Amino acid sequence: MRRLIALLMAAVLALGLTACGGEEETAEQVTVRYGLSNAWDSLMPYNSPSGSNYTRIICDKIYDRLAYVHADGTLDPRGAKSWESTEDGLAVVFHLDEKAAFHDGTPVTAQHWADTIALITNPDCPALGRGTFSVLAGTDSNGCAVEGEQLGAEAVDEHTLKLTFKSPTTPEDFLLDKNRELYVLPTHLLTDTAPAQIMDLDLWDAPVGSGPCKFVEELPGSQLVLEVNQNYQLGSPDFDQLVITVMDKSNLLSSLIAGDLDYYAFGGNVSVEDAETARAAGLEVVEGEVPNTFYELMLNCETIPSAQVRRAIDLALDKEALCLQSTRGLGEPTATDVTPGTEYTCALTWSRDVEGARRLLEQGGYDGQTYTLACTSNRSGLAALMQQELAEVDMNVTIETVDSAALFSGMADGKYDMAIASHTPGALPLWFTESRLSESNNIFHITDLEPYTYYIDQIKAASGWETRQVLLDKLQELLADERPFIPLWFGRTLHVQSPTVDHIDYPSSSFSNENIWAWRMKAA
Amino acid sequence: MGCYIRRRLLTAIPVFFGITILVFCMLNLAQGSILDLMGEGSGATDADRAALAASLGLDQSLPQRYLAWLGDLLQGDLGTSYANGRPVAYLIAQRVGPSLLLTGTGVVLAVAIALPLGVMAAWKPRSGWDRTASALSLVSFGVPGFFLCLAGIFLFSVTLGWLPANGMYSAGRFTGLGDLIRHLILPAGVVCLSSVGELVKQTRTACLEVMGEDYIRTAWAKGLTDRAVMVRHAFRGALIPVLTTILSHIPHIIGGSVVVEQVFGWPGMGSLLFSGISSRDYAVVMGVTVIIALTVLLTNLLLDLIYGIADPRVRYGKG
Repeated sequence: MRRLIALLMAAVLALGLTACGGEEETAEQVTVRYGLSNAWDSLMPYNSPSGSNYTRIICDKIYDRLAYVHADGTLDPRGAKSWESTEDGLAVVFHLDEKAAFHDGTPVTAQHWADTIALITNPDCPALGRGTFSVLAGTDSNGCAVEGEQLGAEAVDEHTLKLTFKSPTTPEDFLLDKNRELYVLPTHLLTDTAPAQIMDLDLWDAPVGSGPCKFVEELPGSQLVLEVNQNYQLGSPDFDQLVITVMDKSNLLSSLIAGDLDYYAFGGNVSVEDAETARAAGLEVVEGEVPNTFYELMLNCETIPSAQVRRAIDLALDKEALCLQSTRGLGEPTATDVTPGTEYTCALTWSRDVEGARRLLEQGGYDGQTYTLACTSNRSGLAALMQQELAEVDMNVTIETVDSAALFSGMADGKYDMAIASHTPGALPLWFTESRLSESNNIFHITDLEPYTYYIDQIKAASGWETRQVLLDKLQELLADERPFIPLWFGRTLHVQSPTVDHIDYPSSSFSNENIWAWRMKAA
Repeated sequence: MGCYIRRRLLTAIPVFFGITILVFCMLNLAQGSILDLMGEGSGATDADRAALAASLGLDQSLPQRYLAWLGDLLQGDLGTSYANGRPVAYLIAQRVGPSLLLTGTGVVLAVAIALPLGVMAAWKPRSGWDRTASALSLVSFGVPGFFLCLAGIFLFSVTLGWLPANGMYSAGRFTGLGDLIRHLILPAGVVCLSSVGELVKQTRTACLEVMGEDYIRTAWAKGLTDRAVMVRHAFRGALIPVLTTILSHIPHIIGGSVVVEQVFGWPGMGSLLFSGISSRDYAVVMGVTVIIALTVLLTNLLLDLIYGIADPRVRYGKG
């Protein structure tokens, strides 16, 4: 028996090693181990079905973007050294960094950027997420180039890129909104491939970009090994490779404490309860200053057709208690989706008024119908609290706990009456409303979007801050009257500092970019 | 015997297709698809969703999609991942080795612990061996796998700092057997602890049953040593149910352990299945299902054949 067991163990070990083994490392390399709780999908940034932040944060390492966006909405040069608007405000000129080069040594030129945009907007190219480019002149609402029209992406000279828009757009507005979707591709390696075949190239299995890290190897959905790009134009960190491993969220902090991780995305986020554990283990925890989550209660305006009933739900909710339950004091209840701390403001305030809610329910003709509230499992406590608060105004709610795909699908299909969702807020006034109140993404089932799109279009077309703020106030008033969704709160987060790596810009990680070129190993 | 194998293989075919139909329908009828995961803010438009649906065949009816998938399968093609566009067979091939190593080690360790402990517990009831076996079974049955994972990490990684808490290698690739073994101990220990209870119980119960048999009494009466009676007679008689339990772990070894691999960031089949489900990557889920279903069916066949070897009374008739 002993011999049999030994034989079995040897066989298992040998089989496993055959499949997992690689070459032994010869040189001593300094490795930074990076944890991620969800897998990325494609390493081709314009072919990501999820378009998730997990894919973005990976592509951020391999490919270059025009700018680096800080959490507070300020911008730093990255692929572009500087930028300015043209006189008519319809175009932005980007002065690219001459030192930028692809990992194969080819210099990055404005033509690469223009060709990337031309390729992705080509209707024959099966790119995903090209709606990003729908703001450019010469494209339709899906971001496809319109035949016979001049595409608004032009290489003025080797290092000057000009982007022309359909309506006046400031460089800041464009970059805050689109920078995270805009990467430069090695178009010099794509010249012999028809646009329709681009996504089939083996190149995307071992991509060549011009970002701060070079691709080494990938175990799809599990592990990615990257090598530091020593020639990156903004500098390079003092380690050699970055190993990104996907693991369960529950193991990120313990791995950091145990010394098996150097950092985890996004920004070492940690809950208030876990922060105590981190501090007890000797790790430093810093409170984020900029809101990085926005919670909303999505409403289905088809199954809850009365605006009075929707407003009653808003009045019945104790946002302070809900916010406290969820953020443990790291959030501020809100009556609007306008991100606090940005240049735009909203004067609306929230208050709980149970009697007022009851009156509105009566006026709205609420007949005791039971509504279905969908939430993900980590928010079931929050949903239960909402259920209790709504019961105080005699509104019946049942809770359905689902995963996020089922939640959004159920809201889109009209299966659920309400659902709890959260988002990463932006500094722009329309960061939330523009995408949610549109024909292509009418998840609130609003019968007539026109009143909303009227203001949205006006805000987009307005040039000065003052005009925009006035229009934004009107849009917010309309939203407060109609209440297609209920803004709940803006939350901040706690960041566990890496015990081994310095100069990490933790808050900006939530905005899908990391200043990896500036990271430095701490002295042992 | 040959006729029996052929007949078993033939009956396995409808079972296999039944499994694939069931899983395919359950997956596709579940709320949400990869199209719903094309989040807002990703620049995805309706046109993008329609294009993706067309390219993945999601715009076709359920039977059409199943037949297309089946047609590919019969040509040896497990399809292409919805999420990353890689062939599913390639993804599975990358993950089988690590799964085999992890769950294989765990189960082999469990067998190595459970068989002697189960025999000893049956041989000496109410002894220390028996109490150890009961305690081990209690922990194994009563404590959920994810808790064992987290408790193991807390104790051995965070508190004592002896073992790594995640991954398969320290530097992202194979740098030596020692490094691999250090990473293997904790997850394999959890797999072992999760499996050992059932094996110990099964071995103990089976041994106790046969120890009341006449041939065991005869063996004692012949003056054989305790050890010879237990190992050569009692244990051999108890082998069939024990073998069934051991071999029933084979699909688990191939299919990986979803919870353990996910928590420890172990790049095996279990974590592939988990990410396939959470990203609604039906092609990957179906691919893994096919492998697990085939393994279960072949294991059952293997079990029947081994019965014949372990127990000469079992004969394979033609009828």
